[in-house]
Amino acid sequence: MSDVVASTLDRLSHVPGVRSALIVDAEAGVPVASELGTGASGTAMAALTASLFRRTDQAVREAALGGLGSFQLETEEGHVLVAGRPELIVVVVADRDAQLGLIRLEMDRAVEALQ
Amino acid sequence: MRRADIARLSELLREPMRIFVREARARIALLVNASGQVLAQHGFAGRYHVMNVAALAAATNASAHALAEITGAGRWQYMHHAGRRWQLFLAPFVTPAETLILVTIFDEHSTLGLVELFFQKLAAQVRALPEFGEALPAVGAASFEHELEAGLDRVFAPDQQGGG
Repeated sequence: MSDVVASTLDRLSHVPGVRSALIVDAEAGVPVASELGTGASGTAMAALTASLFRRTDQAVREAALGGLGSFQLETEEGHVLVAGRPELIVVVVADRDAQLGLIRLEMDRAVEALQ
Repeated sequence: MRRADIARLSELLREPMRIFVREARARIALLVNASGQVLAQHGFAGRYHVMNVAALAAATNASAHALAEITGAGRWQYMHHAGRRWQLFLAPFVTPAETLILVTIFDEHSTLGLVELFFQKLAAQVRALPEFGEALPAVGAASFEHELEAGLDRVFAPDQQGGG
């Protein structure tokens, strides 16, 4: 794992409330690197979030809104945040009461660092 | 695998294959056993192509299995080829009845990760079928060629046309 990927993942996974953090090759739908919480499947999360990102990116392009930068899913127990470019995405799974502002800031930094 | 077993198992595999194709967004999918007998297919237009791909899948599995043994690499998991437009995924999974091999072709609407994920789910579904829970009677060499085409006859029977 490169230093940039390792340090990016380390920063993301240490934000309070973050359960899992992944960097995903969105074209292949496979994890590049991950820090996973208990019970989380990195390969499944990578495959499904990459698929979702690509579909949503396609939808916003069809709506003439340019490319997708990020999206967020609200779930019963927390949040799934996804950000990136069509090739590489950053995925974070966070608790319901996590500091989302701080997480988004770190995700923006991560996307920039990985370009 | 005997003709009667193929007919029975092909019917059971239709729904898991339909789910795989839908969820993985695959264009073409073929399920064969290690002998190259066809158990299920989606997306192929003719027998000839299915027969060729089935034989190649069985041969690839045999070669990769042997290579993994020779090199001490353990059991091989999958082969993936990424072309400009189409991608090929070929992977075996073991059931108590026998080893099955999935060959699937997908395009930009899917990804390797998605195909692998739903391949694992397909394998789990098939393993959970009681019919795949015990070894099947082997086919004798004399009748093998006849039995080899049983799957083709089955998946291209009039009531199976249109994808399943």
